[in-house]
Amino acid sequence: MRNFWIDTDTASDDAVAILMALRWPDVNVMGISVVAGNVHVEKGAKNARYTVELCEKKTPVYLGASQPLVRESTWGYFFHGDDGMGNKNYPEPSIPVAKGNAVEALIDAVRSNPGNITLVTLGPFTNIALALRIAPDIAEKISMCYSMAGAAATLGNVTPAAEFNVYVDPEAAKIVFGSGIPLLMVGWEHCRGHANLIEKEIAQVRSYHTPFADFAIDCNEHAISTNKEWLNEPGLALPDPVTMAIALDPSICTRHSAHYVDVEIVSEITRGMTVVDQLGVTKKEVNIEVCWEIDIQGWKDLLYKTLQ
Amino acid sequence: MPQKIIIDTDPGVDDVIAISIALRSPELEVLGLTSVFGNTYGEVTAQNALRLVELEEHDSIPVSRGSDVPLVMPLEGLGTMVHGEDGMGNTNPSPPKGKVIKKSAAEFIIETVHTYPDEVTLVPIGPLTNIALALKIDPTIVNLTKKVVLMGGAVSRPGNISPTAEANIYHDPHAADIVMRAGWPLVMVGLDVTQQVVMTPNFLEEIYKANNPVTNLMRRILPFYQGFHNSLFGAGGDIHTHDPSVIVYLLNPDLFQTESVSVFVEIEGRCKGQTIADWHNQWESRPEVEVCMGVDAVGVLDLIKERLTKDIG
Repeated sequence: MRNFWIDTDTASDDAVAILMALRWPDVNVMGISVVAGNVHVEKGAKNARYTVELCEKKTPVYLGASQPLVRESTWGYFFHGDDGMGNKNYPEPSIPVAKGNAVEALIDAVRSNPGNITLVTLGPFTNIALALRIAPDIAEKISMCYSMAGAAATLGNVTPAAEFNVYVDPEAAKIVFGSGIPLLMVGWEHCRGHANLIEKEIAQVRSYHTPFADFAIDCNEHAISTNKEWLNEPGLALPDPVTMAIALDPSICTRHSAHYVDVEIVSEITRGMTVVDQLGVTKKEVNIEVCWEIDIQGWKDLLYKTLQ
Repeated sequence: MPQKIIIDTDPGVDDVIAISIALRSPELEVLGLTSVFGNTYGEVTAQNALRLVELEEHDSIPVSRGSDVPLVMPLEGLGTMVHGEDGMGNTNPSPPKGKVIKKSAAEFIIETVHTYPDEVTLVPIGPLTNIALALKIDPTIVNLTKKVVLMGGAVSRPGNISPTAEANIYHDPHAADIVMRAGWPLVMVGLDVTQQVVMTPNFLEEIYKANNPVTNLMRRILPFYQGFHNSLFGAGGDIHTHDPSVIVYLLNPDLFQTESVSVFVEIEGRCKGQTIADWHNQWESRPEVEVCMGVDAVGVLDLIKERLTKDIG
């Protein structure tokens, strides 16, 4: 079994990603830490707990940082709906929030499973940065970190230069990128275009008639319309599930390479931009594995498998 | 009832004096020392914190190691020019006997504040990294901490580590800004007062006569510190009284005049680490802190001398 830890600002696409991991055969999700991002941290924890309950699991869900390290909060309600879940107002789950704080829980999990713990980050890096600052030793104990973060070779979404997760807490992203943790950056671009689920594919998911399939589409209804209207995309874009698919089956990332990557924290215009030194002109040591291409059909097939 | 305090420290020559005064004061109960990089490397300040609790047999006080680097930025400069590579004026002290506890500084602070709600005063006399980390990991400590009394900043004077910045704030401006705006009762003991309290060579000689473990250590480590003050300020043998003033504030706040004002920290550029008091509320609203603006220097020095020279048996 592979041990996973998921750090998430649980809104609709996070929920699908969590579901994929919880339903994947050789993966044991040890814990879920929630961070402020798409939605407030308590709301994200509710959404995560609801997802855990839907999958009939008991995975502990911990409350983490309620705001970015240094910046004022930026929220994603406009994209995911007021509840973060397509305004479906799902009922309060019966499993409670786990005791203890997310940062310490994550550190404990890593130290108890050195070399056998995969971290998947789906939100701003606040919790991970805090954990790395008080326990720098965890950087080398984490087998691999898969992060839905940044935009390596394309435009941003929340600003022309930046992807939401990094924009929200650029200082935290900078800390994580500079920590020595082995990290695959799966940029926002990999959920765009052909990686979208178009109407025909959404109908196919619906045809499974499982609670998981319905949930995956229902909770993303608001995201589908915002994605089309705001970003001119063809259907349902699922950034967090694409990242989770790669974490579950790394062969879905078909082209990647290591580079020096840093995060802009000073500028107003390019705040949170993930600057990739592709040509090595800074002569700085490479720190991040950048995902350049994914197997789009492979990603969709993996998703479908978890929803049936 | 003595005041329960945690001293967050980067010892450091003046930290040595401050901590020794605290440990020699029955009005204060030191629940622990938490170490942080700053005056020198984090590894060294942790060792020095252990040395300090061992100096006069306070070994039961836990020492927790904190951050070796600032919250956000890579480690840039340290205060080794002022304090020596070993933080003890390059006197090569022998290794401590004890070890730091397992819990990191931020975790120790969070746990202790929860153990004694509304009772603990945090006393940071180094960069504010550990305090900011504790705040971010558990924001509830804002309302559970009795108060914060810190050494850092300057609102009416130039800086010391740069033309605009005091060293503790400069070493981690992001952390300082987080701590300043948190909304807890906070007293800033900055250069505005600490540079008014001057220890002269005569004053130090008087103290050294006590011939106890603390004053003997001071006699060894202070010449380097005096040398730095002389090279920067042309101070002869005089030194400013930074960290010890914070402990004196805890013992007798009446020796200080404070004013309530919002304090902002510049976090980047050549003015990074500057603390700016918004006297006329022209910037965005943020909670006010108490900034020490005036001090009875003679009173502070008398108390320092009394504590350092008294026979503690």
